[in-house]
Amino acid sequence: MTDQAAPRGGPLVVGLGSPDQGDDAVGLEIARAVEALGLPGVCTAIHEDPTALLHLWEGFDVVVVVDAVMTGRPPGAITVIEVGAGKAQLPPEAWAATGRGGTHAFGLATAVELARVLGRLPRRVTVVGIEAASFAQGTALSPEVAASVDDAVAIVGAVARDRVRSVA
Amino acid sequence: MTHQLKDGSQVLQVGMLARVEGEGGMHIEIKDGVVESVKLNIFEPPRFYEAFLRGRKYTEPPDITARICGICPVAYQSASTEAIEAIAGAVTTPEIQAMRRLLYCGEWIESHSLHIFMLHAPDFLGYDSVIEMAADYGPVVEMALRLKKAGNDLMELVGGRAIHPVNVKVGGFYRMPTKAQMLALRPALERGLEEAFETVKLVSTFDFPDMEQPYEYVALRHPDYYAIERGTVVSTSGVTFPVSEFPKHIKEFHVEHSNALHAKFDDTMYMVGPLARYTLNFHQLSDRCKEAALAAGLGETCRNQFKSIIVRAVELAYAFEEALRIIDGWKDGAAPSVPVGPAKGEGMGASEAPRGIIFHRYVTDENGIIEDAQIVPPTSQNQPSIELDLKTAAQKWVDMDDHALTHLCEHAIRNYDPCISCATHFLDLRIKRS
Repeated sequence: MTDQAAPRGGPLVVGLGSPDQGDDAVGLEIARAVEALGLPGVCTAIHEDPTALLHLWEGFDVVVVVDAVMTGRPPGAITVIEVGAGKAQLPPEAWAATGRGGTHAFGLATAVELARVLGRLPRRVTVVGIEAASFAQGTALSPEVAASVDDAVAIVGAVARDRVRSVA
Repeated sequence: MTHQLKDGSQVLQVGMLARVEGEGGMHIEIKDGVVESVKLNIFEPPRFYEAFLRGRKYTEPPDITARICGICPVAYQSASTEAIEAIAGAVTTPEIQAMRRLLYCGEWIESHSLHIFMLHAPDFLGYDSVIEMAADYGPVVEMALRLKKAGNDLMELVGGRAIHPVNVKVGGFYRMPTKAQMLALRPALERGLEEAFETVKLVSTFDFPDMEQPYEYVALRHPDYYAIERGTVVSTSGVTFPVSEFPKHIKEFHVEHSNALHAKFDDTMYMVGPLARYTLNFHQLSDRCKEAALAAGLGETCRNQFKSIIVRAVELAYAFEEALRIIDGWKDGAAPSVPVGPAKGEGMGASEAPRGIIFHRYVTDENGIIEDAQIVPPTSQNQPSIELDLKTAAQKWVDMDDHALTHLCEHAIRNYDPCISCATHFLDLRIKRS
């Protein structure tokens, strides 16, 4: 696990979020859990800054990004969006599903769409979003979100395994 | 979006002002061609950090306050550590101060490169966002990403994290990075320095609306260097005082339309930020930075807030220079911190956040428990000048159509790189004509 440069190779799983802001940490938790699965060929990384994605995924063809989202669905609900270079640009309203997280008005949506314009978006990018209940400072995951981690890990693991097969 | 109301007045509304941090609103009323009222409505709820700090240990403010903002956490950490150390009478070493300045250079590089290219340049080049801009200016945006990454990497090395550093403590750091680790960043910093000077040249070619404001400028001044991590307070009217006298000169007050406190300096409106720093401390910039600034069309002072993008670019270059200077002069072996025990008293600290002075004040009991805390961030202090800039701009260009005037007003707000999250977060901008 690294928070900067992941080794190049198989699918990359990136957990985004802050470890100290309630459910914002769920992406980090899931990336760590996926790493613990020891899936052959799967690399993992964690980071707080969405702008780092443009460097983190350099050289990777397939990427899974896990992050907390707020869409109005029940806390813990899991949303999966395919946004890779093979897909059309998503309209701004689609990105509402990923919330407004990020650093100083530069969130996941901006990172992905900027990478697409610059030709730096991996061919396949899957965003796995976990509906958050709270981003309160200094708090742990909410019970609903904590309860969804195993399901999310299974989904991310399945997507990554599928990516390994597709890469192979 | 334009609405015609039943009373005949006209409301122009932007549902959310993009490329600023935080949520607030702007209401401009124009009657018979005269701008009658401008209000920056910050309706993000108060975040109560000052209240959270009461009852906490004196060692906790650097970690707690760093969470207030994802783009200027070092500003909070620097001001809070200085304030707590002042209570205990602790004196840090030159090495600790140098490392604090190096960490702060990382924050300036992160913040300025993000704002110059991702948030502000689209205003000048006629794009709604950096995504659209990237289609035509791909190499420029790629350069911006490299600059930002250089800042992130410096923050990660010195601070332990790119966003919310965890290596800062009262008295210094938990550990010092090694010279070898720092030298590994040198190639990227050298490239960043040259690209920062390219940035100065690039932004100097933009078209700048002609609008100068006679505000009182307030900034920190360091005895030896262009102030970043600490200094004494200086102003364009010649008033100079130590940070410990900040509350005597800067008074916060509440206005009904904002959840962020406004402030006055000796009962007058004032401004903090890059223009204030540049105007007050131009003489402390490096010769190369001075030459680049003058070649870019700046004078030794700057009163056109639209040109803040050039000043930020000069400061970006300066931050790279300073980072390289500190790294090159570093010798391993310095103690990472000095001991700071609990003490009863009141202490104050201030630093130059990328968008202006941030001030912290703490009162502790004999066990070092915080009894009172006060945080004055730069965007709060700049609310009145943002409003007056908007009023001046709206009046000066009142004959523009609503779409163009709305865009100009948004641009005028982004000149300040406002961080509403810091000030208390979304702007709903309305122009009403009747």
